[in-house]
Amino acid sequence: MSEKFRPALDGITRVRGVRGALLVTDDDGLVVADAVMESVRGGAVAALTANLAARMGKATVAAGIGEANFIHLQAENGALLAMPAPHGVLVVVIAEKDVNVGLARLEMLRAAEAVR
Amino acid sequence: MSSDIRAMSAELARNPDSLVFLDLGEALRRRGQLYSAAKAAVAGLEKHPDSADAFDLYARVLVDMGHLQQAYEEWHSTVALDPQHLGAHKGLGFLCYRWGDLDGALEHLESALAADPMDQSVVQALRMVRDAVADLTDITEEQESSVFEGLEGARHGLLMFDTRGRVLGGGMRTELGEDVSQDVAAYVAGGCQEADRSTRILEMGEWQWMIVEGAGGNMHVSRSEADTVLLVARDRSVPSGRLAILAQRAAEVARQWVEAQQA
Amino acid sequence: MTVTRAIEPWIQDPLVRFVNEAGARLTLIMTPAGQVLAQHGFTRAVDVMAAAALGAAIVSSTREMAKTLGEETFTALNHQGVRHGIFLAEMASPRGPLLALVVYGSESSVGLVQLFFEDLVRELNEACPEEEPTRPAIAADFERDLNDSLASLFGR
Repeated sequence: MSEKFRPALDGITRVRGVRGALLVTDDDGLVVADAVMESVRGGAVAALTANLAARMGKATVAAGIGEANFIHLQAENGALLAMPAPHGVLVVVIAEKDVNVGLARLEMLRAAEAVR
Repeated sequence: MSSDIRAMSAELARNPDSLVFLDLGEALRRRGQLYSAAKAAVAGLEKHPDSADAFDLYARVLVDMGHLQQAYEEWHSTVALDPQHLGAHKGLGFLCYRWGDLDGALEHLESALAADPMDQSVVQALRMVRDAVADLTDITEEQESSVFEGLEGARHGLLMFDTRGRVLGGGMRTELGEDVSQDVAAYVAGGCQEADRSTRILEMGEWQWMIVEGAGGNMHVSRSEADTVLLVARDRSVPSGRLAILAQRAAEVARQWVEAQQA
Repeated sequence: MTVTRAIEPWIQDPLVRFVNEAGARLTLIMTPAGQVLAQHGFTRAVDVMAAAALGAAIVSSTREMAKTLGEETFTALNHQGVRHGIFLAEMASPRGPLLALVVYGSESSVGLVQLFFEDLVRELNEACPEEEPTRPAIAADFERDLNDSLASLFGR
């Protein structure tokens, strides 16, 4: 991984409950950089979350509330978070269901800044 | 005769088993040479009795000739061979709409959309049929909005729809007052399908809700009863946490409404 | 128009699942020599043959390029256009190496195609029956086999 992104992703993974943090291309769904636990399928997280973000982004535009700038998907056993960053990159986090979303989001903002 | 048609006819003559009859028949149909197009389709069906595309071609020619009932039967043969055949579902949707069977039209056009979500003709046809359904139903727009009557934002920021994107109640309007309920329901239903798939593949269990924050507002999407989805949207002045509370209240109302419909 | 056909039945179900999940518009499963074993989305034999020949040639020339870089081969290629993308990949199977050519549109992405391609490879390997004994090929057999294959691929 490019050393430029390591501190940013490490900041996210230090949040309790985070199982993985990735930078993903928003149109291709490919991993740019990642810091994920072994049990996490980074490629799958990247592709699926990018697709989800694209679809929900169309919904927010159709609803007249503009481009999506944060997505939180809550499931029975986990959570997915996504935030756009510059240059067609998405910051993606996969976490336990009780992750502190506020803290994770702050670190995701820092990671998005690092992409500039 | 155009050079394309000439070339395809020559190829078919050289190889009667060739599938070029599909393109030849379509080209003849588009030129209005319906008798020749029908001959090509029937000859092709004799050689390829299991070809869904051959049945589809014949059905389209029959529609142009005004033989709608027979076209309907040929398209049914098409979907029997290929249940996801885009052309057949579009054709059946068109015929159902023509005959006033709006439920049938909806069903077939939704199947067509599932086969090709990017087909704009299907999106537009669906919009038209849904508008017609809305006009004809006993429940007026006022009554649909009243599903959530009394709740904050009952008409402008609360929307209930099924997992196929059909609006069941509430409404969604932009700041300019444009009714975007159907478009938003369609897109969010697609997002819910992606959420289903993502949580299944990533082994996260069933998804429960989503919050999407936009530049001009926030959305809360949650599952409700009986394969329905509830969407609550507000401007940025309403924080996400409060959206979740509004969504809980709306979910209870939605649950009672669904139970009442099913009773 | 959605047509999924396989010459060998064990390919059909994994291929159907792949095209549905990945949102592929066109797919070919073929040998490195360009012999097509299954197809999805094509309506004309001439298109299948052209795509198979071109795909096999691209993989062959890329393999040569890989050798000059000291790599044995590149396992996957992706070409991205404005409205479509083309994904070409090799996979090992009990029947020897196979190639997949996948064309996808804007409703999918190379990430999704790659994701479900992994499942396709695994499912094909699980479904593949034991290899039948080979027989020597002669020119007449080849032409008959080709015609039989095209017939199967188009449901005749």
